Amino acid sequence: MPAPLALRVSGASFAYAQRDALTGIDFDLHAGEAVALIGPNGSGKSTLLKGILGLIQQTSGTVEVLGQPAAPAGSIGYVPQTDELDPEFPVSLEQVVMMGRYRELGWLRLPGKKDRTAVAAALETVGLGRLSKTRFGELSGGQQQRGLLARAVAAGPRLLLLDEPFNGLDQSNRDALVGTVERLKADGVAVLVSTHDLELARAVCERVLLLNGSQVAFGPRESVLTLDNVQRTFHEVGVEMDQHTLVVPGHEGH
Amino acid sequence: MADLFGPLVTAFTLPFMARALVVLLALSLVAGIVGVLVNLRSLEFISDGLTHSVFPGIAIGFVWGGREGLFVGAMIAAVLAAIVLTVITRRAVSGDAAIAIVFTAMFSIGILVVSRQTNYAGQLEQLLFGRLLTVTAAEVTQTLVICAIALLLVGLTLKQQVFRAFDRTAIAAAGYRPVLLDLVLNVAIALVVVAASSAVGNLLVLAVLIVPGAVARLITVRLWALFPLAAGFAALCAWVGLTLGFEASVTAGIDLPSGATVVLVLVAGYLLVLLGRLAVDRMRRPAQPATPPQPESVTA
Repeated sequence: MPAPLALRVSGASFAYAQRDALTGIDFDLHAGEAVALIGPNGSGKSTLLKGILGLIQQTSGTVEVLGQPAAPAGSIGYVPQTDELDPEFPVSLEQVVMMGRYRELGWLRLPGKKDRTAVAAALETVGLGRLSKTRFGELSGGQQQRGLLARAVAAGPRLLLLDEPFNGLDQSNRDALVGTVERLKADGVAVLVSTHDLELARAVCERVLLLNGSQVAFGPRESVLTLDNVQRTFHEVGVEMDQHTLVVPGHEGH
Repeated sequence: MADLFGPLVTAFTLPFMARALVVLLALSLVAGIVGVLVNLRSLEFISDGLTHSVFPGIAIGFVWGGREGLFVGAMIAAVLAAIVLTVITRRAVSGDAAIAIVFTAMFSIGILVVSRQTNYAGQLEQLLFGRLLTVTAAEVTQTLVICAIALLLVGLTLKQQVFRAFDRTAIAAAGYRPVLLDLVLNVAIALVVVAASSAVGNLLVLAVLIVPGAVARLITVRLWALFPLAAGFAALCAWVGLTLGFEASVTAGIDLPSGATVVLVLVAGYLLVLLGRLAVDRMRRPAQPATPPQPESVTA
């Protein structure tokens, strides 16, 4: 029996300021599965994630989260890029992760034992339990990224959207992040992860969505990551491909 | 010692001094808490805009209904300005220019209105620089009510306001409407401006809103310690400032405007804390060269 659908996007387009930024999106994502969103910079990866969250205008098609047209509150976890955050902000890692509990706490309640347990568990999941009291801005980029993932995990989402989580990470942080995503998938969380790193897409994702202003291809990673598809996706930015030597499928005998 | 600290208590046995202290302590509590959020969100310029835009409300209210009309006019202007501001900062590509244009225009309207009055200079001075020592019992009550509303608005949304200040996209993704949180905070700032205007005056409100939060940021990086620190610092400065003004008047015969005295004590306190911060940073720094610079250890 296939796992239940966590996300279904059908014929969807999204727009910034009335101008279409991304068109023709058709894909689905099951519980316990990870889909990689691959495309060059400006191809619409972040736009699609924000569109699913309802943060930007959807001009056509449908987006269903857990079978409902509007996302049930708190069902989607979102991990933004860390470079949008103020490194001087006076907040500890633990306090950042606690923000993931606010939705459930509502306006009036203060965090209780249950919330502190959830925060500690989320920090353990991403392997940062020891650094809980450290100021967020003092953490390395990779640790901050894992901290934001812990914040999303603490909310107990069924669907997790990760925006370029592997950017600029060293090997140990990459490994920790890959391990965390694997654990979440095993727990039945559906993961949609944007990246322009094909190696990582191979490491954690079952299916791949290629994107360049519109959908180029979607399907199991072996059948989608063909030289032809990848060239159609990255045609104007050869430089992006040079960073990732595994990009050329010919190398692997396709 | 009793000579030094005695005035901190005895001055406030006089009813008008006690009223001034009550007003300032309430203001300190609210402005301290709201001020930390202003600092975390870097809303200093927007706060300045709000002080300017509340002024025509104060002026029109004053001309229309005297001192009783002042609060009503100010409240209406405050809420309107907070709404306009929330919309401008959401829509405009460059919010700063729009804020500057709208709010200096508002301020000019206020001046035009007051200029129609017979005792123009005297009235204007009171509105701009406050009249802390002549607040009536009724005005104390009004101030307390306005402070309580502002405190309630911020208190009920404090967790989310901090979340929004830290990560605007994530709080929207979590299902909150950032624009509503912004509106609540802007209204709270505007209410502080209203409450503080009659006490320290419209021009000096900004110091009450911004200095305590900035001081707290210098003292600690612990999030939830910022709020009591800012409020406590503001209250201490208010107390000292009022006493100083009173003593200067009683013992030396120098008549210091009380609002400005309090603001100068706030600023002096800020400078003291800043110097302390720099000293602490300097003492900690020499420890660092002991570890090799990062690039070398990487290439080694």
